[in-house]
Amino acid sequence: MLVTWRYRLRNGLMEKFDPRARWIFSLAFLFAVTLFWDARFLAFFFIIAFAWYFSSRAKWKETRRGWYLIGFILFMMIVINTIITGGGAGGVVPPGGHLVWAQGGTIPLVGWQFHFGLTWERLWFAICQLLRIGAISAIFLIIPYTMDPRVYGVTFRGLGLPDRFAYSMELAFRYVPTLARDFGTTLDAQRARGYEIERVKGGIIKQIVRIAPLIVPVTMNSILTGEDVTNAMDLRCFGTRPRTWLQKLTFHWQDYALIAFSIILLGGGIITLYAFHLGNFWVPEFWLRLAGG
Amino acid sequence: MNNLPLVIENLTFQYRRRSEPAIEKINFSLQPGQVMLIAGSSGCGKTTLMRCINGLIPHSYQGEMSGDIRLFGESVVGMGLSTISQTVGTLLQDPERQILGSYVLNEVAFGLESLGISREEITPRVERALARLGIQHLRDRETFGTSGGEKQKIALAGVLAMEPRILLLDEPLASLDPASAQEALQAFRMLADEGIAVMIVEHRVEDVLSIHPDIFMYLDDGKMTYLGGTEGLMDVVDYRRIKLPARVVLERARQDPAPVFIPAIRPEVKTETLVQFEGVHFRYNEDGPEVLKNLNFNINAGDVIAILGHNGSGKTTMVKHTLGLLKPTEGRVLLEGLETRKMTVAQAAHTVGYVFQSPSQMLFAPTVREELSFGPKNLEFTEDIITQNVEWAIDTVNLKSEMEMPPLALSFGQQKRISIAAILAMRSRILMMDEPTAGQDYWNYQAFMDAILQMPGFDAVLFITHDVDLAVIYANRILLVYNGEIAADGKPQEVLKDEKLLRSCRVLPTSLLKLNMEYLPQTGRFYRAETLAHLQS
Repeated sequence: MLVTWRYRLRNGLMEKFDPRARWIFSLAFLFAVTLFWDARFLAFFFIIAFAWYFSSRAKWKETRRGWYLIGFILFMMIVINTIITGGGAGGVVPPGGHLVWAQGGTIPLVGWQFHFGLTWERLWFAICQLLRIGAISAIFLIIPYTMDPRVYGVTFRGLGLPDRFAYSMELAFRYVPTLARDFGTTLDAQRARGYEIERVKGGIIKQIVRIAPLIVPVTMNSILTGEDVTNAMDLRCFGTRPRTWLQKLTFHWQDYALIAFSIILLGGGIITLYAFHLGNFWVPEFWLRLAGG
Repeated sequence: MNNLPLVIENLTFQYRRRSEPAIEKINFSLQPGQVMLIAGSSGCGKTTLMRCINGLIPHSYQGEMSGDIRLFGESVVGMGLSTISQTVGTLLQDPERQILGSYVLNEVAFGLESLGISREEITPRVERALARLGIQHLRDRETFGTSGGEKQKIALAGVLAMEPRILLLDEPLASLDPASAQEALQAFRMLADEGIAVMIVEHRVEDVLSIHPDIFMYLDDGKMTYLGGTEGLMDVVDYRRIKLPARVVLERARQDPAPVFIPAIRPEVKTETLVQFEGVHFRYNEDGPEVLKNLNFNINAGDVIAILGHNGSGKTTMVKHTLGLLKPTEGRVLLEGLETRKMTVAQAAHTVGYVFQSPSQMLFAPTVREELSFGPKNLEFTEDIITQNVEWAIDTVNLKSEMEMPPLALSFGQQKRISIAAILAMRSRILMMDEPTAGQDYWNYQAFMDAILQMPGFDAVLFITHDVDLAVIYANRILLVYNGEIAADGKPQEVLKDEKLLRSCRVLPTSLLKLNMEYLPQTGRFYRAETLAHLQS
């Protein structure tokens, strides 16, 4: 059985908007924020995102697991991909720059040469990345906690997706907490057989084999759940005729206002970047002074 | 005859990848308002027959079908699934597998939404379906948070909202407590009385007999070996294969040799305390309701405990505390004198073997042999001991022939037995089983319960069950749980004699319990009907 995200009505400002308007705003925000690498613009988006996030009245303990996951992803992207390897900054941060620290050498036995150089520009880029991903996360993370599961499907239908896709989106949304529940149950079942995930050691292959007791049952359960859901839908005539959606969504003035704001945000962003050429990667003077430049 | 709700003629079906037909030459018809009961052991073809009728065969399951199925005179050949579904409503074995909506209202409305019926019409039809089953109060609840019995009724309401004229029920009682099962059966009878043709596939034959089915079909290996009134079934069906009323078994078993059952665990032999619950309270989250309330009891060596209680009473939550999978929010649980808070689950697994309810949550290995070796390897047993334990465990569940098969390729009933064997192979001191007989046929579950309880090695066995007869036959102690509290704890003959208490805990006396109560002054303890037959003579 598919479960849902733990939703409860909090009477926050966010919940006063039609879910379709909220999705339009979230998507417009996503496209707008990805136009910029200038920290001043990103700070503006960051403030909007967190103002929006806090208008939900969601508590930290409700969303903390999501933030832990985002924190982990950010760590991987910023510390490893941007600061250590510099891969994430490619194409945005100009080559060269002011060195913070440099190291080179030869790897013993294999004799490979390596050069590592961290610049102040790359560090600033990491801050920009933090602002950008933080803002996007705040906008999207809050959706499942603040959107009534009863309106998932009808929202996507209202956004123009066909019935089948709209309902598939609803199922996909509910699949995430269902997967988490199944994983927890399987972990418990295997721990009851003396299995300890902490003791999974060895090379990559050995580690993959050792986590099979978790991955195989969870995967199999997902397949079985998929089959059950399909059968249950078939037995109740899904997809044979245009569907009626029990919940009815209606736009109000505040929804039009939010959609207008979304258009301005995205349209304004495009004009700012392409007409005025503002918003590209920029490093403040004081930062370079820190570098002694 | 032509316009009967359901007519089946010479129906044979073989799944695409199988060499034998799943069902062969099935013939019967069903009239409006009739209740038909179909029984047979696991794998006899019951579910395949249902799939043929509700259109899932050939729509979702491919194979070769011959013969004819007619719904109100029209052959289903070429009929779309949506057309069939408007006539034939299906309630799947596990309501959890059927419920799609996140809220009750949406779940019940799902079929009507799919048919494109207007909102104005959907709401009253949903209200009517809910009212028919007396669950209007659940209308705005989340489906996930409802009990097993409530889920069953919600799923049924979803089917009824589509106003079917034939209702197929696939093991509808499998996950229900006795009182919920009885309520569900009364609802089925009511629907039949309103003119719906009802077909019930069920292992719990004795329970279904209480609503007086009009026709009984017995399937054996895909073939129909009996079709007729229920009075005839008592004579033709092997009482060891299908659970019949205890008095019928008592009479029939007199002609056969007395069964031999010598339990290896005896309460009088040992008195060591293995597990202690001391003032245990538990809630799943801070704001949630209290699931366990001040539990105080011990599990001692020599105990064979049956835990009885209604759906959602906290039975599974309680048992998970023993292994440390859950920790009390207040109070403590001691395992062999050590607090479970201070040990890992893996350490606790040396003492407690716990069989989860659903086998698909744990089976993963490429062969049954490797599946069974997994636990003992984790516990770092030697190779010799592992081989010995695995052989013993597979013998106990009677599946030696499947040793090199992938467990996930086996039937649900076989998977369930493999999951039990996987825990048996760990040779824990305490064996705990959550609904070990759910989805198993009578013959198989009696066989493995007999084998487990006659096998030396366990100091205590504990099982959660909705099957009161299982408790009557095998337990030497009953824990009756109601709303997270222990309502009664004692010998079966002490706890189960209080019918008022049982009913208040949604546990209903069975014919075997009643028979045992009659004989109790002579016997002093409970026995299975076959044993009583010989004690009496």
